[in-house]
Amino acid sequence: MEAVSQQIPLEHFLVLSAILFSIGVYGVLTRRNAVLILMSVELMLNAASINMVAFAAYASPEAFTGIIFAIFIITIAAAEVGLALAIILRIFRNRGTANVDEVNALKW
Amino acid sequence: MNMSDAWVLPLLPAAAFVVLALFGPYLPRKGDWLAILAIGAVFVLTFPIIADFTAALALEGEAFAGVANSIQWMEVPGHLELNFGVHVDGITIVMLVVVSFVALMVQVYSLGYMKGDARYGWYYAVISLFVASMLALVLADNFLLLYFSWELVGLCSYLLIGHYSHLRSAAEASKKAFITTRLGDVGLLIAIILLWRETGTLNIQDIIAAAQAGEVGREILTASVVLLFLGAMGKSAQFPFHVWLPDAMEGPTPVSALIHAATMVVAGVYLVARMLPLFELVAGGMEMVLAIGLMTTFLSATMGLVMTDIKRVIAYSTLNSLGLMFVALGVGSPAAAMLYLFTHAFFKALLFLGAGSVIHATERQDVSGLGGLWSKMPLTAITFGIGAFSMAGLPFLAGFWAKDEILVALLENKIAFAFVLLTLPLTAMYMMRVFVLTFLGEPKEPEAHEHAHEGPLTITVPLVLLAVLTLVTGFVVFDQVGRAMGFPGGIGDVIYLHGPHAFDFNVAVTLGSIALVATGLGAGWYAWVIRPELPASIMARLQPVHALFANEYYLNNVYQAIIDHVILAGARVVAWFDRNVVNDTGIDGAAYSTGFAAYVMKFQQTGKLPNYALAMVIGIVALAAVAFFKA
Amino acid sequence: MQTGYILLATIALPLFVAMLLVAVPSKRADLVRYISIATGFALFGLSAYAFFAYQLATADTYQFELQWTWIENVGFLGKDGITLHLGIDGIGAPMVLLTGIVTFAATLISAKIDYRNKDYFILLFLLVAGVFGVFTSLDLFFWFFFYELAVLPMYLLIGVWGSSSTFATFARTKEYSAVKLTMVLVGASVLIFVGIFAVFVEAGIGTFDLPQLYEVEYDENFQKVVFPLFLIGCGVLAGLWPFHTWSPDGHVAAPTAVSMLHAGVLMKLGAFGIIRLGMQLMPEGAEFWMPMLMTLGVINVVYGAISAMAQTDFKYMVGYSSMSHMGYVLMGLATMNAVGVNGAVLQMFSHGVMTALMFAMIGVLYDQAHTREISAFGGLVKRMPHFVAFFSIAGLASLGLPGLSGFVAEFNIFLGTFQTYPALGALGILGAAITAVYILRMMAQAFFGEENEKWAGLKDMSRYEYAGGALLLAFIVLMGVFPSPFVDRIAETVLNIPGVS
Repeated sequence: MEAVSQQIPLEHFLVLSAILFSIGVYGVLTRRNAVLILMSVELMLNAASINMVAFAAYASPEAFTGIIFAIFIITIAAAEVGLALAIILRIFRNRGTANVDEVNALKW
Repeated sequence: MNMSDAWVLPLLPAAAFVVLALFGPYLPRKGDWLAILAIGAVFVLTFPIIADFTAALALEGEAFAGVANSIQWMEVPGHLELNFGVHVDGITIVMLVVVSFVALMVQVYSLGYMKGDARYGWYYAVISLFVASMLALVLADNFLLLYFSWELVGLCSYLLIGHYSHLRSAAEASKKAFITTRLGDVGLLIAIILLWRETGTLNIQDIIAAAQAGEVGREILTASVVLLFLGAMGKSAQFPFHVWLPDAMEGPTPVSALIHAATMVVAGVYLVARMLPLFELVAGGMEMVLAIGLMTTFLSATMGLVMTDIKRVIAYSTLNSLGLMFVALGVGSPAAAMLYLFTHAFFKALLFLGAGSVIHATERQDVSGLGGLWSKMPLTAITFGIGAFSMAGLPFLAGFWAKDEILVALLENKIAFAFVLLTLPLTAMYMMRVFVLTFLGEPKEPEAHEHAHEGPLTITVPLVLLAVLTLVTGFVVFDQVGRAMGFPGGIGDVIYLHGPHAFDFNVAVTLGSIALVATGLGAGWYAWVIRPELPASIMARLQPVHALFANEYYLNNVYQAIIDHVILAGARVVAWFDRNVVNDTGIDGAAYSTGFAAYVMKFQQTGKLPNYALAMVIGIVALAAVAFFKA
Repeated sequence: MQTGYILLATIALPLFVAMLLVAVPSKRADLVRYISIATGFALFGLSAYAFFAYQLATADTYQFELQWTWIENVGFLGKDGITLHLGIDGIGAPMVLLTGIVTFAATLISAKIDYRNKDYFILLFLLVAGVFGVFTSLDLFFWFFFYELAVLPMYLLIGVWGSSSTFATFARTKEYSAVKLTMVLVGASVLIFVGIFAVFVEAGIGTFDLPQLYEVEYDENFQKVVFPLFLIGCGVLAGLWPFHTWSPDGHVAAPTAVSMLHAGVLMKLGAFGIIRLGMQLMPEGAEFWMPMLMTLGVINVVYGAISAMAQTDFKYMVGYSSMSHMGYVLMGLATMNAVGVNGAVLQMFSHGVMTALMFAMIGVLYDQAHTREISAFGGLVKRMPHFVAFFSIAGLASLGLPGLSGFVAEFNIFLGTFQTYPALGALGILGAAITAVYILRMMAQAFFGEENEKWAGLKDMSRYEYAGGALLLAFIVLMGVFPSPFVDRIAETVLNIPGVS
């Protein structure tokens, strides 16, 4: 069986990752619910992972650097989600809302 | 003791000052003996120096230009060398005799006069420093030492004028004296530095030689001469700097004698006489000296006429004399000026010490409280009279000869001659007036008269010695006298720097001056003895003129107004500017604008997550764009 | 015997004593006092030794040298990257002596401090260590470190032990003055910081060692750009107009001994920096900018003197007078000739001792009378003759009376100035005359005349104050009468500064 790299050109992965990333950015900027923002951030992280893996496969198939980085990203994303959800939960408990527009205690 | 050892002279009283200032309170009699010992030694040591001088003069004749000896004070290798050194020539010898003798008399006199003073020891300490600085001033071979001692003379006069420190008037007078003379000193210092810049040396003789050789630029030379003269004017209380001198009588009377006769005010005359070659090189230099001298002579004669304080009258007579000396210098006759300085020292010291004797006896110094003291204090009256008539120019007293010398020198210059003639009767008149009002007539305050008595020997002996000198010193004008004293060619030869010069004697001038002086004395006698009510009626009729004279031409008021309304007001404006503009607007303003910027910027901190995220995205896109287009 | 440990000791000893004092119980105020005075004396002894053992006419540019490597051959640092390099030249030697004198006098004057005197002395010694460090460091990194160390304790010293004043038209709190002083000085030191790194990068030899940096030829345009950084940065600490206002306000708010150190040595750091960093590193830049410094210096002199004339408060008067006299230092430096620069260094020393003496005497008066209004006094000479004598001599020194230190310095500066800028030199001399006006006015008003009955209870100086004052006085007179020991050291070094003709 031929390697994926011979069947699909690299650009496809990059475009996919760019689209995912843009959706993530859009989500972060427009959503007001903290949970949804968090999910958008996850999209961006995943876009980055796709990039990593794609480059790993195309640019240097014999080395594992890109793949290792993707695994790092997944790990950190998991930790981050745990932390972020905990914070969001606390905010919701305290304020009764997860709307980031209403949570603006850290201003001048 | 050779001439080159003359540096010892100022060191003796200087050492006495150091000892007295540090340990005075622990010495017996607060150490007055030490001060007198020091000045006495100076006086004695002057004679071997004179002997050495006459020997050198006899040996080398006209070519003798003086002896110098100096040591290094500090040095910037290759750039600047500052030396302290002494230079002895004719002028120096004259000044040495005057300073040491008058100072000795004054110090002896002070034993009696200052007895019981709260700061007796300090008085002797300062007066020692005063003498030391004056000796250093006249011995200096370079401008550094000259300026050094010039300023110290100013300091000592400050301390002594303000000796009665509990009096507000004394504090103000001493301040005035110091500040006024210091304004002149600004000129002197600038002149010294300009001359150094041009010639690369501070040595006086070298500078004169360089200037005569034309090595100094014309503008620089003119500027330095004018500035130099400014210094001399301040120190010698010439118009318009003269205002400090009459006020300086706030000090103890012996100090006035010292300041007026031997130290301080004659320093300016000495400086101009010493630097006269420079003045001669500058167009208008001599005329400037002459004009200032005439102005001072005339103004002071008119003011002396109406003063009622005995010391103030004598103070104005000093201005009168100093003006005359500058007149003599201004017509290029330093010999006449120095002769006048020499004789003036004795009779002016005599006048002040006599006045001091009166003040000591009566505790009054305004003539309105004196009178009729002849019977109580005959010795003081006679000696004071000798001084007063010498000042007036009565024949055969010291002042007469010296004044005639100046008149002869003035013959070339008709206007100046007429001016000086005009002041002669005025001078005679007010000297007569002060004598009459103090010693003759009815005592105006019987109580003061009652207690009046001659002072102790320490007071009377100096009076007598000075009176004797006033009687005889005038005769040094005759070359025969000079030769008898060991000066080949007479004293004039010693004093006069530019070669042999016999003292002139012009019969017409002499008779004329005698007539004028007699007129003045007679008018004085008539106005204050024969018809004592006359002066008051004249005064009443000429009220504005009298007021003008009595208020010293309102110069003090003008100066005070300038100080209050221009200088101090200006200073307050600057201080206000500094506080409100430089500090509150400039420095604090910078702080406030930083604060304001922070205040404006802080509203960017909305606390809303999407705002921050948007900012980040925009930033990243921008950075990416930059990177993209750069690549 | 010359050893760099002498200089090291001048820095280490105050630091050590500061730590030692931490261990002393604060209840033992007298012990703190004795330790401090003993330390002050030891520092005076060390610095006097360094000054007098300094040898003339030797081949070494720097004496008492000591070099300890701190970091080298790491990252951008090459050999001798950052070293603790100590040493003094003929300019550093009198400055070290000055610091020793003023420190000892300041500890003596501070003997009367009661409020938290332990903390006070700890900060004071930190400051002193910084000052000694600046005068002896030959490494840019440590130079700057000590520079900051000397400035920062000022903030607490003024803020805690200072005094607020209310005047007729304005008020100055000690907090305001402390903040302003620190902000302005630290702000200015940023310029120095930038300059130091610019020099480091431009030289490209990976070291902060000054003697090595002096060897480098810097590009002329580089010098013209960087020199003003040092000039302004250091100049602010020297009271350069128009950045001087931290100084009078700081003086007024500071406690006596801090005013003494502040005017006596701290302001000298600025002038010293202009020589060490500015003139020695970049002579061409100096030549380009010196006319400006000369102008500012003359403004300092005249503007300061005129402002002083209008002051009614003792400390403000002396504060402005101090600014005016620092103007002479700047003028002397700006002449760029041997005589003028020599005079500037002399003036640094002279100004240090005489201003310190004036502030010490104001302290004597203020601590008893609790007012500094000149017109409130009169006839003080009767009750306080020694106080008046000391204060007057300091005042006379500042108006340039021959025989006292001020004259020697100012005479040299004027000679130097007239060589290049006669008109400005004349203005400088006029400034000295204005000084006479305000000093004599103050003396006539406060010291002489009728005694003001209100102050009949005033006492003359205490023994400590007497000792401190006498020490300062001795050096005023010594330098005035016998300047050679100072001039010989200074002139030798000044002649070696590149660009000084």
